[in-house]
Amino acid sequence: MSIPDKMTDEMSLTEIVHALAASPNFAHDGLCFAARSSGLYRSEDGGFTWQPAHNPSGDGKPLPTSAVVFSPNFAVDGTVFAGVPGAVLRSEDGGKTWHTAALASPPPFVSVLAISPNYAEDGCVFAGTVEDGVFRSGDRGIHWAAWNFGLLDLNVLSLAVSPDYARDQTLFVGTDSGIFRSTTGGRAWREVDAGPEGTRSTDFAPVLSLAISPQYAADGTLFAGSEALGLYRSNDRGRTWQRLGGDALSGPINGIVLDPQYPARPRILVLLHTALVVSEDNGATWNEWYPDLQDDQTLTCVAAPLGLENGSPLLVSTTGGEVLIVRERFFKG
Amino acid sequence: MIPPFRKPRVRVMQPTVYTGMERVVFQPATYRGMQRGINQLVGAIRPTLGPRPRVVAIDHVDYHDKTPRLLDDGGTIARLIIELPDRDADVGAMFLRDVLWRLQQQVGDGTATAAVLFQAVFQRGVHYITAGGNARRLQTFLEEGLRTILGQLNEMVVHLSGREELARIAETVCYDPPLADLLGEIFDIVGEFGRVEIRPGRGRELEREYVEGMYWERGAVSRGMLDGDGQLRTDLEESAILISDLEVKHPQQLYPPLALVIRHNIRSLLMVVGEISDSAIGFLLSNKHPEKLRVVAVKTPGHDKEQKAWALEDLAVLTGGRAFVQAAGDTFERIRREDLGFARRAWADRYNFGIIGGKGNARQLRQHIATIRAAFERTDNPNTRNLLRERIGKLLGGSATLWVGGMTQREINERVERAKRAATALRGALREGVLPGGGVALLNCRPALEAMARVATDPDERAAYRILADAVTAPIRTIIANAGFDASEMLAAIKQQGPGYGFDVVRERVVHVAEAGIYDPAIVTKSVAYAAITSAAQALTIDVMVHHAQPEQAPLPDLSPPKQL
Repeated sequence: MSIPDKMTDEMSLTEIVHALAASPNFAHDGLCFAARSSGLYRSEDGGFTWQPAHNPSGDGKPLPTSAVVFSPNFAVDGTVFAGVPGAVLRSEDGGKTWHTAALASPPPFVSVLAISPNYAEDGCVFAGTVEDGVFRSGDRGIHWAAWNFGLLDLNVLSLAVSPDYARDQTLFVGTDSGIFRSTTGGRAWREVDAGPEGTRSTDFAPVLSLAISPQYAADGTLFAGSEALGLYRSNDRGRTWQRLGGDALSGPINGIVLDPQYPARPRILVLLHTALVVSEDNGATWNEWYPDLQDDQTLTCVAAPLGLENGSPLLVSTTGGEVLIVRERFFKG
Repeated sequence: MIPPFRKPRVRVMQPTVYTGMERVVFQPATYRGMQRGINQLVGAIRPTLGPRPRVVAIDHVDYHDKTPRLLDDGGTIARLIIELPDRDADVGAMFLRDVLWRLQQQVGDGTATAAVLFQAVFQRGVHYITAGGNARRLQTFLEEGLRTILGQLNEMVVHLSGREELARIAETVCYDPPLADLLGEIFDIVGEFGRVEIRPGRGRELEREYVEGMYWERGAVSRGMLDGDGQLRTDLEESAILISDLEVKHPQQLYPPLALVIRHNIRSLLMVVGEISDSAIGFLLSNKHPEKLRVVAVKTPGHDKEQKAWALEDLAVLTGGRAFVQAAGDTFERIRREDLGFARRAWADRYNFGIIGGKGNARQLRQHIATIRAAFERTDNPNTRNLLRERIGKLLGGSATLWVGGMTQREINERVERAKRAATALRGALREGVLPGGGVALLNCRPALEAMARVATDPDERAAYRILADAVTAPIRTIIANAGFDASEMLAAIKQQGPGYGFDVVRERVVHVAEAGIYDPAIVTKSVAYAAITSAAQALTIDVMVHHAQPEQAPLPDLSPPKQL
């Protein structure tokens, strides 16, 4: 593990990295962003050094940034989106300059951004918010409209888009009271049919993280990380759920990363408050790994820009605003 | 005789052929008379069955418009035929008319299929009974056969989703591809319970609008509370919601809630009250500092006590507030901050008020909706079901309005009616799935009925199953004949292909109907089978008719379609 330069001279535990995003072309450009409460930061060297990425006009004070996402077609379109209070920022030059698209008043707090895998064709971007549900843009982030029909809980904490979105128009949101699914490209939502192990859907704890299998069209697999009930997997597009990991995965699940070759190589990485937990057998067994953290410091986000290869970098953020670069050999296989 | 449409109706009397005495009609005149009436009514509806319907012209529908009304909808045709001059025939026709109209109200479609199925069962039943069969026993076995049909239909049900599939269902009802496409999109978004308003448009085109959040049909109590920027609408952000059905007679009653919101630095208040006096409105309008506190008052939604109680309950759950109820003796005197509901946005105009992003407990809201859904499933009362569906639709947090255009007002009105029927059918399809269309689902029940007939030892039982096995072919025969093809020839071709095959009238060839995407809402087909067979079986038990010498001249009930879906 190596600890990079701190992004600010004075580390404060109130400073939080809300989101990390790495370029789809990370192996070549080393570009990544960190959305922090003190603003949006950009790194061009794989996360070793960071510079403020957005300096709004006016008083020049950076806006708290809560979400960031790259276009899947970044190598061609250079597009990045970031969420700030009441608006979504859009850059088409890799984060050098930004355009602001305001969301409807009163200003929503953008909690998560997601982008269509078919963005080059459909231009769809989704913004989950804390009190206003999901905003959807169908014109590459220029105009946004709230589409919350059937979304009975507007506190959106996580969002995942199907890799086969062009065909199935499917996305999931994790909210304070469970999971909702849209099969209409985010224009209408339905409660998932059941909660964990046959309980009612409302028995879900807040769902902090979601991850969809890269082969979702074939395997229908989806993972949900909850605040208090651990990690769940559904193999039938969210209809039924099974708990994974038992006591090894107690506590809030802040992030889930699946191997890009999942399910052929069933590696799963889960970010807990103070540990990274990995499985290489599709959740049957788990190994924990604890980074060196200062007192009261917890882990908030994780990004695996080069997948879950042994020794490839993981970007892990902490309360206090640090981004750690972790290069461990987690897997035996 | 055709009455004026949508006018207060009285039965138009025919000259009576008897005086003073009641006339009692016995068999075989009873069956003959009823058959005449049933045949006349079914004859008027039969041409409308199938995707290539023929049109029925009904003249003098409206006093003000002498041009005939052209209809291809069996339910409306049946509704507009209110009396036949032959009183024996009239009994049969009115019996069937009642069945068809109730079916139309219930599921929105299937009246023509029900009419031909009813006729087939009744005619064959009459033949059997006049040859010595027992009507009551036949009724029992027909109902036994119906259970088999419903069981077979249940096994064929598939569930559809997605805009294209829903549009195909809509098209089987409205035969209007652009309209069906838009209805497919709308119901793909709003779902079974979604709130959809279908209104006449002003132009030729079809348009739709989606409205975020939920709204109720109660506007601001005074224009002075609305922004005068031309829209006469006020939008409140981070608004508190006072929920009540209290009667506010004096301005003093409003002091406690107003003092509370000012004390807590709340800038917007939507006040829902049962009644509010002019002096109280004047007091609210005298607010000199709207930048510090904006107040909009609306009346409690609902037309009766039950609906008002529902609205208060829904508002309370949505916004996390407490409802102040007059009947419980509540007052605003000891109001606390936690009694108020809250929403990200609230709005009101002259006709409606709405809430977007209510801050109630989401889990509680989901459980509340589940409870109302359970009540919806439990009740059979169509009015209660409509009200509960509207309520669920509101709580789901969005609505759609479809504006139906056309070349003339008449075309627009007819298109609106078709759209409403298609919408009802789509709700049914979303709730209970779909079945192979084009009469194939009923045709597929035939082998099971034939098998039951083969093993039946009782003659009445055997006859009942044979009657049904024959009758279930009537709808597909009619569809094929209406398209101008020979039904027997096509049925032979279909039989040769095997189960699941039917005749695609549009493409004019035998196809596997499910693979060709030809579906009917399952609830429609099942309701058709149930309504037609049970009522035909019941009609067969009618042995004697009694005609009153002086039929009462009572106004008919208003059967105009409900205002809102």
